[in-house]
Amino acid sequence: MSFEAGDLGWLVPYLILAVVGMVLVLAEAFFKGRDHTSLAGLAVAGCVASGVASIVLVRQLAGSEQHMLLGSMLVADRTSYVLSALFAFTTAACALISPAHQKEHGWKIGEYYGVLLLSASGCVMLAHAANMVTVFLGIETMSIGVYVMTAMRRRSRRGNEAAMKYFLIGAFATGFLMYGMALIYGASGTLSLVEMPAAIARTHNPGLVIAGGFLLVVAFGFKVAAVPFHMWAPDAYEGAPTPVTGFMAAAVKSAAIAAMIRVFGTALGGDITPFGALGWASPLVVIAAITITIGNITAVRQDNVKRMLAYSSISHAGVLLVGVCAMGLGSSSAQASLVYYLIAYSVATMGVFAVVSYVGSRGRERLLVDDWGGLASQHPGAALAMTICLLSFGGMPPTGGFFAKFYLFKSAMDVYSGQLLWVVVIGVVNSAISIYYYLRIVTAMYFRDSTQPMAPTRSAGLLFVMAACPLLVLELGLMPGFWLKLIGG
Amino acid sequence: MGDLVFDIGYGHFLVLAAVLFVIGMAGVLIRRNALIILMSVELMLNAANMTLLAFSRMWGDLSAHTFALIVIAVAAAEAAVGLAIVVAVFRGRRNVDVDRLTALRH
Repeated sequence: MSFEAGDLGWLVPYLILAVVGMVLVLAEAFFKGRDHTSLAGLAVAGCVASGVASIVLVRQLAGSEQHMLLGSMLVADRTSYVLSALFAFTTAACALISPAHQKEHGWKIGEYYGVLLLSASGCVMLAHAANMVTVFLGIETMSIGVYVMTAMRRRSRRGNEAAMKYFLIGAFATGFLMYGMALIYGASGTLSLVEMPAAIARTHNPGLVIAGGFLLVVAFGFKVAAVPFHMWAPDAYEGAPTPVTGFMAAAVKSAAIAAMIRVFGTALGGDITPFGALGWASPLVVIAAITITIGNITAVRQDNVKRMLAYSSISHAGVLLVGVCAMGLGSSSAQASLVYYLIAYSVATMGVFAVVSYVGSRGRERLLVDDWGGLASQHPGAALAMTICLLSFGGMPPTGGFFAKFYLFKSAMDVYSGQLLWVVVIGVVNSAISIYYYLRIVTAMYFRDSTQPMAPTRSAGLLFVMAACPLLVLELGLMPGFWLKLIGG
Repeated sequence: MGDLVFDIGYGHFLVLAAVLFVIGMAGVLIRRNALIILMSVELMLNAANMTLLAFSRMWGDLSAHTFALIVIAVAAAEAAVGLAIVVAVFRGRRNVDVDRLTALRH
């Protein structure tokens, strides 16, 4: 173990988020009863500074260069910085759409911004994690913050209920995570994810690795809301305030996948551990196939937009799990394709939830698909933004979602002797199914008349996110080369 | 000094931890009171801690000891948030039965 001050330079994106988060929690004490917009401004400034720092640092690193930090607890490489920039900007978008939502729906709580940034710092820690201790700490920092944010509307029955379900399932998953980590530690004798493959290769207890791997599959299954561990997700997504739902769907899910990249892709990957009937890849790929299918089929039946988006994000988690399997099974392009998918998915998610916040106002959320009738004639910009983001979800060219799915499935095809071919076929068929329910919202917006005039929530920050996300989605689709170069794929 | 009845080795600790974990898991799945579920989760975490400590001694490596301490600290933070949520739910409904949380079901 060693501590070097130089390591802190590599951790600037993380430190900015953590320090600004703590300052915000303190500052709230002096802002009692006053307008919270300035707190939101500080939160956005902190996130943008953290994101810019990540981008500066990613340019300092060559393709596969890695720096181990703080006694090998954390790692700095291109993937970690691209992901931490993604988390920082996602959080900035969330902080931008929050003040208007707080004002319209009556939950003006200043601590929210501090908790949001602290939770984001947990996400960034997961992007850097190189040890099981930091994986655990990152997941808990992130999750505890999100439980608090879900429960923030204290008087709301639905908000409380969502928080309770989310908390109990999250804590249950933590139990599996810890026990799985303990068993793998028992087999390998190390907590470091970097030393893990070599340690597992010479273990005398492969049974412990198998059991631990299965427990970790369950734990991460809960965290990314994979079927059959997904029952909390629609309730938590619906009951949480819409900006928090956006944060949960974009940053939290991406951070859990980032941890899976480190744990399953790197530490438990290799030539032996994932393979065979007892390797972790077998249950994970079956879970991925079920998740994609059940997520889509259930989404078709939803009338509530937030629940529909929850099931859609469940099916996206399934696609991401295919990528994790491909990475563990040795596909060299899988890591870059996962990061690209996370970028495209998170940007579109923030755009979609910004529009959902925009449509509701004055305590009325207007979440039913029927409520969206005639949006295009009254607010063509919002309808267009929603359409572009939904098409990206559905994987239509020329959006980022199309290339994300394309690269991810292509990397899954690279796996030795086409083992993942069947799940790629399932994924492609399901993309076609998913278009159906995304188009339901689009049809309602464009081809149905409104039942009553709309009075959407207006604020500069919200409009900025609604404009920036669709543009970025198109840019991701039209110039994917730039992004893949940045990721190092 | 030898043990009076039989030698207690790592295996005993690991089996005890596994039993605790299964009891905790069963508690979460079977009991419907949110507080009992929270207690069962703590049982699962303690089972994991005990496993970590037994293996840590077996490997002669202190890193898992620190890990267990961190887990205890984080579990306390998690329980604090969890109890706050339980109190908020109780204020609105006068019970904390998870089967009666049905406002969000369609």
